[in-house]
Amino acid sequence: MINGNLKATYGADERVLNNRNKQMFVFGSIILLALFPLFADDYSVLMACKMGILLIAVVGVNVLTGYTGLVSLGHGAFVAIGAYSTVIFSNLFSGLPTGILPFIVVPMAIAVSALTGIIVGLPSLRVKGLYLAVATLAASFIVKFLIEQDLFAPWTGGIVGIDTPVPSLLGWELDNKREMYVLITALALGTMLAAQNLFRTRVGRAFIAIRDRDYSAEILGISLLRYKLMSFAISAGYCGLSGALGAYFFARILPEQFGLDLSLELVAALIVGGMGRTLGPLFGVVVVMLVPELIKISMAAATGGSLELARYTGPVQEIVFGLLLVFFLLKEPLGINQITDRILRSANRWPFARG
Amino acid sequence: MTLNRRTFLATGAAATAVVGTPMILKAQPAEYVLGASLPLTGPFATAGQLVAPAFALAQKMFNDEGGIAGTPIRFVTEDSGYVPQSTLANYQRVLATEGKACVGYFADSTGAMKLIAPELKGENARLMGSTSFASELANPQTNPYQYISGPTYQDQFDILMQNIKAAGGSKIAIIYSNTEFGRDPLEHGRATAERLGLEIVLEEATKPQGADIPTHVTKLAQSGAEHCILQGYVTGVWPQLIGGARQFGLPIQFHGTFWGMEKLIADRITKEAGPFLAGYQGVMPYRYFYDRENAPRYEQYAALSKAMFAGTPLENYMSTWALQAMCGLELAMKALRDTAEAGKELTADNVAESLSGISDWDSGGFFGGPVSMNNNKIGTGRVYEYAPDTGLFTPVSDWLST
Repeated sequence: MINGNLKATYGADERVLNNRNKQMFVFGSIILLALFPLFADDYSVLMACKMGILLIAVVGVNVLTGYTGLVSLGHGAFVAIGAYSTVIFSNLFSGLPTGILPFIVVPMAIAVSALTGIIVGLPSLRVKGLYLAVATLAASFIVKFLIEQDLFAPWTGGIVGIDTPVPSLLGWELDNKREMYVLITALALGTMLAAQNLFRTRVGRAFIAIRDRDYSAEILGISLLRYKLMSFAISAGYCGLSGALGAYFFARILPEQFGLDLSLELVAALIVGGMGRTLGPLFGVVVVMLVPELIKISMAAATGGSLELARYTGPVQEIVFGLLLVFFLLKEPLGINQITDRILRSANRWPFARG
Repeated sequence: MTLNRRTFLATGAAATAVVGTPMILKAQPAEYVLGASLPLTGPFATAGQLVAPAFALAQKMFNDEGGIAGTPIRFVTEDSGYVPQSTLANYQRVLATEGKACVGYFADSTGAMKLIAPELKGENARLMGSTSFASELANPQTNPYQYISGPTYQDQFDILMQNIKAAGGSKIAIIYSNTEFGRDPLEHGRATAERLGLEIVLEEATKPQGADIPTHVTKLAQSGAEHCILQGYVTGVWPQLIGGARQFGLPIQFHGTFWGMEKLIADRITKEAGPFLAGYQGVMPYRYFYDRENAPRYEQYAALSKAMFAGTPLENYMSTWALQAMCGLELAMKALRDTAEAGKELTADNVAESLSGISDWDSGGFFGGPVSMNNNKIGTGRVYEYAPDTGLFTPVSDWLST
């Protein structure tokens, strides 16, 4: 195969960014992300942060669904647990110096989410596919139900929600969106890199083996109990981190933010972006979060902000977004990642056949 | 001329006036913007769709009156789908695109108000009204820029209970949706009932939609309640509960709060299922749109509605939900105009100060008489009763204040 890349060592072949085009794409994106808050307005920074938070959760769903082949409709619950645990632990340990609190609270929130993930993942040992999706669906409802109960209201705020703390990293108070952007972007990139590397390890390969054929994997000596639950734990841990950042980012969290809609949004973003691919969640999140906003802005421009037409533009936006998703899935069932793959591959082979 | 300290200061002041005045003039925008998020899709799309046209009417009316001190206003309305985070994004977008020209915002839920409240600081603060009557928001200390255009749910419970007591009632049941909206006045309601000597014989939570009606009605029948207050519903559940109770043969008097008092819903239920809402009572902060005697502002709305919405159902009737939005906008405009007339810049602090200073305001028909902002709310309302044969809610109490 002509690919124009000479690999002289095994090390060079094993690199994540194993050709110049990939390097340019990734490093160029990082430079753009670093420059972004310098020229973006508050609204753009808000959207970028929301995308970063969702991205981390979708990377988590990708570990479970994309790489291990286990479908879950309950991951919104793990985001909720991460968010509420962050607030609860911050209030519990309020006596500690604020500068070190996030370093204690966030890992604890991730751990609680991961443990819950293990419990929710138990049915995966007996059921799979749609049946597992329905089994995990329960998590979404149970967690939200518990958060709303008066019994837990002193900790969760109950149905009216609870104010969240401002994070302070060794004295650096992240009290505005631009500062939070730095943290969220760094962690989003870090989690993507960690996920990419996870699948170059023994554990990640076991996940992929389970995805491709679980009983074959078991025959090969992979413990389904251990690795399926590990996948649930890692996946839920990512969602916990996403929730923790959400709690730090939004000044208040409310139970209604963590309903079934969120779980569905996570799965939709993954499917649209590309399952089982490192950049799949990124593209999915861009489509799921940015496209509705762009449609909204375009519609407002097209109608000249007409108040008379406002009642029609809302529903039309939803319809257009729905149609766009269907179009994407019909045109590229393997997700947008597949399109970028083709572009990068043809760039890599240029001027030879696009292939 | 020798330049001593006095002449230096005088020259400096004059120079600043000459150079600075155009800057001040330049700082004033060509138009002021008021943003709004409405639930045009999602669970409360029915309400959002009925409220949306009111903004077109309001824009025309306020601009015909000269906008804010001669500067025209423009509304920017967007769909939120009743998702608080979408409302927050809409708010941030208006701030980013309109900057200081944006002088107010109208949010579409209690959740959105609570989510945005901590963001209202410094340059990001704006005066903010909403569809919410949540008691927690009526607190100028914690929410200085947010206001309620009527009584809180707690106030509405007080008004209902005062009326029940006056009618000789003693045993009441409270059925509420298991939402923040439904639970809001519960604790306060218990205290008011105790103060008035009313016995709460049943507190029953239901789903906000698709509730198990026979179970709830059976519990209501067993409770022996004479009056039942329904809280936390908009288009569904409350009519079914009343219908179920009537089928069960219960002679209980039902009462509702603002969001369960829309004539269009009551009319539709009557048309589809018969006249079982006869005698249903509830508290309304505002007069109904058809009650226009001595209501010059309502007359203005009616004339504009006829011209702007000819050939649609909105031509002759403005829903209570739209009236609530209009009242919120009227209050915001009054505060903005008062601030401008006082020669102050339209900062959130100045406008909020004007808002909290609204006193003996003649609303032109919304309320029974002049009203004042107290703790960023207007704690007054009246009990109305529905008659299926006329399709009208008519007052059965005087205006009651809390």
